[in-house]
Amino acid sequence: MSSRNFISLCRRKPSVFSRAFATVTESSSTPTQYPIPPQNARVKPKLLTSIILNRAPILTPTPTPFERAYYAYQARLRRALFNPFPYDFYFKQGSILEHRFTLEERKRERIAFGREFGVADELDKEKAAANKAAVEQLAEQEGESEEMMPRIHPSDDARDYKSLDRKGKRNLYLLLQENEGIWRFPEGIVKKGELLHQAAQRDLLAECGEYMDTWIVSRNPIGHYRPPKKAPSSSKPQPEEVAFFYKAHIMAGQARPNPETVKDFAWLTKQEIESRVPEYYWHGIKDMLSEH
Amino acid sequence: MSSILLPNSKRVAATSTVHFQIRCYARKESGMDPKKETIRRALYPSNIRNKPTPTGTWRPDVEKALQHAIPSVQAHDTIDRAWLLHKRHIRKRREAETERKFESMRKAMDELASIDSHLYMEANKPENPRARSPEEVNLLKTLKASEARASDARIRGLFPRELRVPTDTPSRTGWKYDWKPFYRPL
Repeated sequence: MSSRNFISLCRRKPSVFSRAFATVTESSSTPTQYPIPPQNARVKPKLLTSIILNRAPILTPTPTPFERAYYAYQARLRRALFNPFPYDFYFKQGSILEHRFTLEERKRERIAFGREFGVADELDKEKAAANKAAVEQLAEQEGESEEMMPRIHPSDDARDYKSLDRKGKRNLYLLLQENEGIWRFPEGIVKKGELLHQAAQRDLLAECGEYMDTWIVSRNPIGHYRPPKKAPSSSKPQPEEVAFFYKAHIMAGQARPNPETVKDFAWLTKQEIESRVPEYYWHGIKDMLSEH
Repeated sequence: MSSILLPNSKRVAATSTVHFQIRCYARKESGMDPKKETIRRALYPSNIRNKPTPTGTWRPDVEKALQHAIPSVQAHDTIDRAWLLHKRHIRKRREAETERKFESMRKAMDELASIDSHLYMEANKPENPRARSPEEVNLLKTLKASEARASDARIRGLFPRELRVPTDTPSRTGWKYDWKPFYRPL
């Protein structure tokens, strides 16, 4: 009965997600103050290419408490149902390695099933103590295992938005701040006779420097954006602009933006981009970015 | 109960190990090299097939271990369903995000088609991994052997090998900030 409710809830949820791109369901107001520019078939719009430069996640996602509990549960089940381990095939009888394995295995049994499991046979107390001492000596001789690096980098605590080690589990995107103060993705104009993905590569190098090992994923754009039509200040009509977005990955290096056009840069997650970027621009780009 | 029939019972008494569970398939044969004996007994299943498992055997205290592992049959079913539901949530979220991204791509291509058909056709062309543009061919003549190999290594249309797989802990050196620029023609 309750399971059916759960399943109907799940069925309702994806439809909300799949319709999200058609209707803006967020609490923020729809950008009605910017009129949608009409399609002008006679005049070709000015083409721009923009790059979404992505630093893919470096770290695996942290398992939730439920996932960890489930994995531990499955491990217990496997331990209960598996064939007994052929220790005599893998370890020489009476060797120190066998004693080490035995001790560790008993500990694992106790963790999995409880205090009644993993109990040593009462053979010879002195012998058992001698074995344990030998195992400890072996551990000392082998030395401590290498310390692992922590998953949280110092730049996380310092909130260094230029660092590419920050937020290892998330996707980071490069955002540039223009001299006027608006945050946007790197972009540039498409020259005559140039293909879009070539223009994207050239614009990226021009705006962000060539000290990055980047790879543009495909010839196809992943999205487009039409800026809101400004009120005509001068007498001649301004051609419309359309920006096509291309996805790229960064594998090494750091951005060195061109100081003439760009004031500042940052590597941000999707939520951080939302807080910095103008609202109309955000509604144009949010579908292209990864949630996680 | 069934543990009495296990062929390993004699073996357990013989050795002085703390295990009471080892898996022995074939029966002991006298007058064999002990190393070969170990290998043989590990490899070959016994002829007496008195277990549900075709090759091995349960541990001797399997009933007791299972009782400690599983709270109850109903609890096990509930855990199973909860896990499937959890996976479904994750899957639906991922599918929704993929659908959003694809829609964005489709609309962009439609827009491009309406603006410029030549650029649209070029964007739709499949990448030929073995093709070399004339600029690349000219460049390869001027480069050293190692640099030419590096230039060839980045194949168009394929993922570069520098894209790292996510790991549990970061590398010791961290991100490689100083990367020497390497020119690659478009």
